[in-house]
Amino acid sequence: MPEGDMAVAQGSSSNNSSDFVRKLYKMLEDPNYSEVVRWGDGGDSFVVLENEKFTKTILPKHFKHSNFASFVRQLNKYDFHKVRQSEENGQSPYGKEAWEFKHPAFRADAKNNLDNIRRKAPAPRKNQATEDQFSSNTQIAALSETLAATQQQVQALQDSYFEMAHANKVFVDEIMHLQKMIKAQNSVNNELVNHLGKMDHERRHARATSNHSAQFNGNNIMSDGTEEPPAELRRARDILASVSGDHIPEKDLRQMSIQFQQIGASPDSASSSSMMGPPGSAGMQNNFIHDPMNDLRHMVYPVGQTIGIDPFAAEHMGNIPYNRPLSQNAMGPGPGQGPVPEAGPAAMPTASPPVGAPQSTSPWGQKKPRVLLVEDDKICSRIGSKFLAQYDCGVEVARDGLEAVNKINSNPSWFDLIFMDIVMPHLDGVSATAMIREVSPRVPIIAMTSNINQQDLEMYFHWGMRDVLAKPFTKEGMIGKLKKHLPSFLRNPPAEAVMDQMYSNGGAGQPPTPGPYANPSLNLPMSAASSGPIAKFETTPVQSPSTSTSWHSPAQLPHASPNMAQDQGYLTAGSGGPMAMTPGGTQRPHQYGGGMMPAMSGPPMGHLPDDGPPEKRQRLYGPGPQGPYA
Amino acid sequence: MSSDNHDGGDSNLPDLGDAIDIVTFSQILEMDDSEDDREFSQSIVFGFFEQAEETFEKIDEALEAKDLEELSKLGHFLKGSSATLGLTKVKDSCEKIQRYGKKENEDGTPETDEELCLSRVTETMKSLRTEYSEAETTLRKFFNTPAA
Repeated sequence: MPEGDMAVAQGSSSNNSSDFVRKLYKMLEDPNYSEVVRWGDGGDSFVVLENEKFTKTILPKHFKHSNFASFVRQLNKYDFHKVRQSEENGQSPYGKEAWEFKHPAFRADAKNNLDNIRRKAPAPRKNQATEDQFSSNTQIAALSETLAATQQQVQALQDSYFEMAHANKVFVDEIMHLQKMIKAQNSVNNELVNHLGKMDHERRHARATSNHSAQFNGNNIMSDGTEEPPAELRRARDILASVSGDHIPEKDLRQMSIQFQQIGASPDSASSSSMMGPPGSAGMQNNFIHDPMNDLRHMVYPVGQTIGIDPFAAEHMGNIPYNRPLSQNAMGPGPGQGPVPEAGPAAMPTASPPVGAPQSTSPWGQKKPRVLLVEDDKICSRIGSKFLAQYDCGVEVARDGLEAVNKINSNPSWFDLIFMDIVMPHLDGVSATAMIREVSPRVPIIAMTSNINQQDLEMYFHWGMRDVLAKPFTKEGMIGKLKKHLPSFLRNPPAEAVMDQMYSNGGAGQPPTPGPYANPSLNLPMSAASSGPIAKFETTPVQSPSTSTSWHSPAQLPHASPNMAQDQGYLTAGSGGPMAMTPGGTQRPHQYGGGMMPAMSGPPMGHLPDDGPPEKRQRLYGPGPQGPYA
Repeated sequence: MSSDNHDGGDSNLPDLGDAIDIVTFSQILEMDDSEDDREFSQSIVFGFFEQAEETFEKIDEALEAKDLEELSKLGHFLKGSSATLGLTKVKDSCEKIQRYGKKENEDGTPETDEELCLSRVTETMKSLRTEYSEAETTLRKFFNTPAA
């Protein structure tokens, strides 16, 4: 059989089994066709004499299509076999072009037997896979593309989810505040009512005395009510009573508010958060985070056809009218909430708050990006932060990798982009990146370095960096990276920039390395990594099982497409690479870094796995490193 | 004020000789709020002077201690800031020191002879000092604050 031709036919073959055979038999009964297709001489086979004519005239009549390959495929499914001429006398008795098909039960003289001809058990996938070899590559490519787009979608959704969570936090605060106000007003009203009551009483009393009616009952004139009762006042009192009695929802709100706080809280507050709420609150927090997330996923996956169009990205996200800093600060004075989790190391006194009324001169939209500049050199960091500040970004500086990691740990979603020097004391940029990736898989981290040889670059990307800014950096260079990696922050995000970012994997937006995973040796740590993070998974209190499963499915896809390898842009972010650092990965970077991380030492790394932020981790590990790379 | 000091050329790109890459340096000048009061760029440059002097001292110490690794680090360190300011020559020398400290030849090939590396650093250090003071003079003149 001409294997290759068959792929086309797949879809058309799901009818009732005997139907096809009946049609076939009926077709052969028609004497008009004998020049083109007829029973074989023995009546135990049939012959297509003129392939072309058959395809064009007969097939459409009987099988509603004109595809010979498809027809042959169909036959094949019913276990018809082409009779091979060469095996007989070397020459077909029906001519060179003839195709003779045979089925043991398909005979001109045995119409009753037709029901015995059944479709073979549904061809297993494998068959199809081998038969469709030639198209499978394109399919895989398409799938990979879909997957990439979908993953982008998911992550954008996650982002917007977190934005919304923060916005909600604000709402909750606001509501609580309003309730407090209402409460206050209630008491004020109460006072007024009392006061009026008194006034009323005095008035009556005065009248009564002047009228010489000797009735005097103290204060209790209202319940007494012998004369006309002050109906309005009583009603007002009733209303107030009913309002102030209705205080159950406030409890929920407070609970919710606590949960929100925990979500937005710093990783280090994991312990303090358990102190805060009632024992059950951890579980509730779970639902809080995970349910919406799962819903999102379930929403997104079936919607795969929106490749390249992320309905949740850019425009919308940039326009969320609530900024995280707002909500975080707003939590401070919350009534009766106990310690605020961020109060500790999470507080960022040095942050230049990028929030504010949108200025017409700003290149950014509603929300200005917050940038972390990690640079040990004072000169460079001052210049860099000046560049960024002049471009209307919020800038914070960390003087080495350790400081950067601490900053990120204390608030993983605070920064929108990180510029990372490579060679630094205490903790080098690559290690810092790997550690940051554990809590913040998405934030673009851009290496600032003058070492731009291929090997170094591969290592940078491998450990989760997204791009490289050559040193000495220029303002244009820096701003360029900002625009490239934060297109959704721009006031008028250019359509293609958004696309660029979405397809930064393999697309034009990709950094200069052709394929960071091209070097097989770089994959080594991956397999080692797969056991580490997973084990940790299980100990993570808020880990959602469905999170991992939903991510696993894409990972099971065949991974032949070379494009996928370039997904590192965020696959690395979400997948195993950098995470490998924690389970004893201290040494690992050395094998690449050579002398790059001499200053790295055990202790700073050691604390991470333990008090990393659980609520974030579940989404980092999501994409399942074990899929493509393990 | 200082804008009177550089004669000729357009005012955006003062002529600072070939010790300083003017395109890079002018980026920093652009960050100043006012051309008359170059507060930002001046503080950056003076900060660099301090940094450079400190680094030179450390390099001398490291040379004495024959600590190649430290030398490489110091070279790298000063390379970054000098490059950011556009002090091309200073930067090049720092890069050399970084390489020699890493036991590499100028082209990046490994060099096993540590004494050779040390003597190369010493040599480079000499030209580095010259290049640096040249740049320093130019810059101090530019900011109208001759060395005390």
